[in-house]
Amino acid sequence: MAEENQQSDYVTLVSNDGFEFKVQRSAACIAGAIKKMLDPSNNFVEARENRCHFESINGIVLEKVCEYLYYAEKHKDAKDVPDMDLPPELCLELLMAADFLNC
Amino acid sequence: MTEQFQVIAVIKGKGKAEAEEVKSVKDKKKEKTKGKKRKGGSDDDDDEDWADISRNMYKKAKKLPGQLENCEICNKRFTVTPYSKTGPDGGLLCSPCGRELAKDAATEKKPKTSTAGRKRRKVESDRLDGRVSIGAKSLQTLCIEKVAQHHQDLDELGDLPQDVVERLGEIFTKRRVMKPETLKLFLRGDLDRVVINDCAYLEIEDYEQIFAIASKADTFMFNNACQFQNRAMEYMTEKANNIRFLKLYAANLVSDEAWCSFFVQRGKDLEALKLQWLDASFDDETVRQLVESCQNLKRLKLYRCRRLGPEAIDAISCLPRLEHLSLQISQPVDCERLINLVSGVGENLRTLSLLRFEEADDTLLEAIHKHCSNLAKLRITDSDTITDVGFMNLFSDWSNPPLVQVDFSSTRDVDNSNPDGPEVPVGLADEGFKSLMTHSGEKLEKLNIVSCRHITTATFMDVFDGQKTYPELREIDISFCNTADTVVIAGILKTCPKLEKLVVFGCFNVESVVVPAGILFIGAPKAQDAIEQLGNSALNVEQALGGMLTMIQANA
Repeated sequence: MAEENQQSDYVTLVSNDGFEFKVQRSAACIAGAIKKMLDPSNNFVEARENRCHFESINGIVLEKVCEYLYYAEKHKDAKDVPDMDLPPELCLELLMAADFLNC
Repeated sequence: MTEQFQVIAVIKGKGKAEAEEVKSVKDKKKEKTKGKKRKGGSDDDDDEDWADISRNMYKKAKKLPGQLENCEICNKRFTVTPYSKTGPDGGLLCSPCGRELAKDAATEKKPKTSTAGRKRRKVESDRLDGRVSIGAKSLQTLCIEKVAQHHQDLDELGDLPQDVVERLGEIFTKRRVMKPETLKLFLRGDLDRVVINDCAYLEIEDYEQIFAIASKADTFMFNNACQFQNRAMEYMTEKANNIRFLKLYAANLVSDEAWCSFFVQRGKDLEALKLQWLDASFDDETVRQLVESCQNLKRLKLYRCRRLGPEAIDAISCLPRLEHLSLQISQPVDCERLINLVSGVGENLRTLSLLRFEEADDTLLEAIHKHCSNLAKLRITDSDTITDVGFMNLFSDWSNPPLVQVDFSSTRDVDNSNPDGPEVPVGLADEGFKSLMTHSGEKLEKLNIVSCRHITTATFMDVFDGQKTYPELREIDISFCNTADTVVIAGILKTCPKLEKLVVFGCFNVESVVVPAGILFIGAPKAQDAIEQLGNSALNVEQALGGMLTMIQANA
């Protein structure tokens, strides 16, 4: 069962206030930290359950992060990518999250 | 009823001012018809114009300069001048009201200036700087840029990690908003480093604040510290207990006495000192004090300190623990003094950078060969006396491990009466370049041989033959080596698997290069090519070489 789960297309990202985001694995792995969490060779709980719980990130920020992950995946090989629009009031929190997630 | 007829009739009937009015209506009319491209339906327009003109006929004529008129806004009587402004309802304004109006208009106009052109220019300049990447920017970068945009709304940055804070500081600097008001965002008691890339706006109180708040920091870097004065220096000497690294650029208000007293009091802990752009003070005597007090110095960089002369070199040769030394001195320095320097400090040196020491010759290289055995980074530029044989001897049987960074740019002889250069190659040429790559090829990461004009095509082909590999080589600059051609470039692409950046300004034999993925190719001289070319993501080196071959054949 666990073996099968590891190959699932979608993973779940959970915020500290309980919001769950189902995200495509390929997009989620753009963030270095999530990629490492989900790497089966590291043998983390996250990799077995395909579920990452973030104690330091709230739902609003995590939603933006997910939006970014898809945006980054979409523009993976493109040149001169237009910048994603971020709400200024979220920027600092988002910056902390980005630093934590390494993306 | 033609329009022409109306106009003539009105001009005949009314005064000069009216005639102008009519003219302007006529112009407007022209514009309208241009805009509509004569789509017909001009009857309506005619009626409108007629209405306009008939309305204006009963208006008072505008007063001429010198006449008196009542201001349209404040109703005061004033003398009309050629500079009198027209008010919102068409009347004339007295000069105070006119000024007000102009001010309003100016503030309204400002935000209209379009940034499109500047943006495009920015993109091009980023490309030339090599700041191009495939894919989206990282979320961190996006956030940092956004935060910098909204700098005026920030109260504090919170517990951001130090490197993010510094990155933010860089962007603040770039936008020229690193001011006393924003500085407080970057100061925290727990920082161990204070890096401010542009201190031009910071005044003495701000420096005092920096040293008071971040008193535990051991590293202080201030660029463009033009208002850093003696008092700030004294305060730093007093407060910054842990200081080990000081980088101060353009601090011209600090006197020699202040420097000396800083060295005397804090010198023994100082490990790194980087100074640039000092014009007014910092002379040989100060360097002597520096050497006397700072015997633990490991890193020293002195660039563009105008008052330094040859004697500073003699003094520096007595710093036994020095590991990184970068010097540039404006006054001519005998080669003997440089040899003396290398024999004094060469043993532990890992970086030796001698920028623009024109008197340096082969004997200096001999000294480096003899005394330096730990070098990783070597720069000797702009010498016009070092010969190819000198370079060859340096790299033959050298006990030093392979170098990581090499810069021998502009080691060549320039003589307008002899444009082809001397018979015996001056500067890095065939043999020197070959022995350099034999010695350092396996570890070399950055190679700068700009303007080494005597390296022949055959040597380039031999060094980058596609058989050998230089596994670490990431950046190559061969600008103005006119002998390098397309085949050489192909060879470089094949021999350097980790190549990221290749600069070829002025290499006029380089044409039709197909750039493989992940490589930034700058300076392709053909005007119709983009000056920067970023590798196509779908092409690997083999495919790119194949593409180049077909293009060359097609051209032939």
